[in-house]
Amino acid sequence: MKLAQTVLLGLLTGGVYALLASGLTLVFGVMRIINVAQGALLILAALFTFEIWRRTGLDPLLAIVVTTPLMFGVGWLLYRGLLARVRAAPEAMTVLLTFALAIAIEGFMGLIWRNVFRSVTPSYFASSFHVGGLFLPKGLAAGCLTAVVVLGLLYLVLTRTWTGRAIRASAENLQGAQLVGVRVVDVAALTFAIGVATTGAGGSILSILQPVFPASHYVWISKLLGIIVLGGMGSLPGAVIGALLLGVAENVTSAYVSPRWSLVVFYVVIMVVLLVRPQGIAGSRLREDVAA
Amino acid sequence: MKKFRQLPAALVTLLLLVAGCSSNSSSSGGSGNTSKPLVIGASLPLSGDFAQPGEASKKGYTIWQEMVNKNGGLLKRQVQLKIVDDASDQNTVVSDYNRLISQDKVDLLLGTFSSLLNIPASAVAEKAGKTYVCPACGSPDMFNRKFKNIFFAQPATAVHQADLFAQWVKSLPADQRPKTAAYPTQDDPFAQPVVNGIKDQLEAAGIKTVYGKVYPADTSNFDTIASDIKNAKPDLIAQGAVFEDGVGLVRSLVKAGYSPKAMFQTSAPSNGDQYSKSVGAANTEGVFYAVSWSPAAKYPLNQEFLQAYQTKFGGVPEEDAADSFAAAQVLQAAVQAVGSVDDQAKLSDWLHNNKVDTILGPLSWDERGAPQQAFILAQWQSGAAQVVLPQNVATSQKIVFPKPNWGGQG
Repeated sequence: MKLAQTVLLGLLTGGVYALLASGLTLVFGVMRIINVAQGALLILAALFTFEIWRRTGLDPLLAIVVTTPLMFGVGWLLYRGLLARVRAAPEAMTVLLTFALAIAIEGFMGLIWRNVFRSVTPSYFASSFHVGGLFLPKGLAAGCLTAVVVLGLLYLVLTRTWTGRAIRASAENLQGAQLVGVRVVDVAALTFAIGVATTGAGGSILSILQPVFPASHYVWISKLLGIIVLGGMGSLPGAVIGALLLGVAENVTSAYVSPRWSLVVFYVVIMVVLLVRPQGIAGSRLREDVAA
Repeated sequence: MKKFRQLPAALVTLLLLVAGCSSNSSSSGGSGNTSKPLVIGASLPLSGDFAQPGEASKKGYTIWQEMVNKNGGLLKRQVQLKIVDDASDQNTVVSDYNRLISQDKVDLLLGTFSSLLNIPASAVAEKAGKTYVCPACGSPDMFNRKFKNIFFAQPATAVHQADLFAQWVKSLPADQRPKTAAYPTQDDPFAQPVVNGIKDQLEAAGIKTVYGKVYPADTSNFDTIASDIKNAKPDLIAQGAVFEDGVGLVRSLVKAGYSPKAMFQTSAPSNGDQYSKSVGAANTEGVFYAVSWSPAAKYPLNQEFLQAYQTKFGGVPEEDAADSFAAAQVLQAAVQAVGSVDDQAKLSDWLHNNKVDTILGPLSWDERGAPQQAFILAQWQSGAAQVVLPQNVATSQKIVFPKPNWGGQG
């Protein structure tokens, strides 16, 4: 019973993690940019959701239709204004830039929403479905379900539309894509914007799961990096598998070993994967010499 | 076209500058006095993880400064505060205090927020022979270094913070007294000792410990912990919480559908509105916590403090703001009694041998700088925080026990 409950919670948490990690892995796959600001953008979206909820009382899960385009716009502006400028620079440069961006966003959130915890508490935030002896938190279940829907849409866009094909083509072979007429700069801006747009839905879900605070983003970016390293950097299905595995691992560790170790799981995974299987579960090994 | 493309970059740069400036601001004192101002230096966590209490501390110091300056200053000199931001970082706080002492040559120091930051910062002050009064540094690790110049400006150290709660539990008639207890706690130098203090006293009274796991500061998911506690079926839960984790555990216990007969949390429930909005007002009923300060207490200057805070910042002051105000009062009392700031050993000696009246009540210290009084026991009742013990400052004559089921569904 305890195991069933723990695994159930882990899978639900993992589903939400999958959505949060999807944007990060997508952006890395196409542009080789590790967007360290993804966590900060996630918190920003959560605070936008809080603001919408406070002013209008709109359900945070419905607020996704507002936060997603909003974050898409933020992502597009950031790419055009900042990241496009370091396209040719070494990857380390983009890490530095996005880290600076994360700190700037944290400061900005502190100015606007002050350094206090903000909570979005719709009627169902602290209630559960009870099935047998198990409990299924409603907020987490709704969040997980929403995440699945958004991920499904994202997957369809990537596989069934020309835009999606252009994005995947740019990820797999940049020169080849250019050769067949893909405008890679536009595709890059679009991908980055989509990557950031996923934080819109993610942030709205997050806002009902826990109180958020400008500095909350550090722990999120560490978790998300663990997930995409395990899944294989750049792979969307990989991110989903990685998220589910780590969601379960985190909860099982917390219940059977100690909550003290549950976060360490993420960091241990990063180290072990890099040592044993650097491409992760679903990532492909690139021949950097040819690609370069 | 090129110009337009640079606009976003320029905006972000501006943003960075603004964020940088705002976290480095220092408030300056009043004006109109002819002599050189008395400069008091402090580094506070105005950004990062402790930004919330850090800002509250700054408010407390600022209110004190304005009150003192309005009454003619300290030693007839206007008081100026030099507050810098340590970003909740232990290394930064050390370099901040070094700079305040050796470069800025401030006259006096006030402490920073949290034991985590005060432990390294106080070592800098001790080495420089400066009197160091800190508003939040209750960890036992503060006081086992034989420092002569540190003073903790709250009524008790962490281990004794919840003494009144433990005594109350032990005083319950045998048939009502909880038989089992769970002690989840954050790995935090201020929260963990409080819970250990309760645990030691209750175990000695025969109350069995059924859960005692420690979780790290970054924990955001409490569903599993709540489910674990539910399986252990404790009558009493005493959690070493900071804020987010206190909210997280209550929410998850509600979701798991487990309500103990008594629930105690450190710090989190003392955050007024922020707490009740985060857990849902109906879920606060019966939750206990210990506080250093109460707005209702009739200690000298307490009402003036409340009013000044209301006028300047609006609302009810945070406990951290009150603690910081009290820390400044302690320093002020020593300076006024000694009459000079040149020999700070004299300030420290005076504090070791005297009692100081503050808005937290009278405070006195042992030779290690640990305070010798007791925290107030408070409880959420009908959506408001009430002082329940000690009786002479209580705002509510009843104690809600056993705790009713969580107000939310589930």
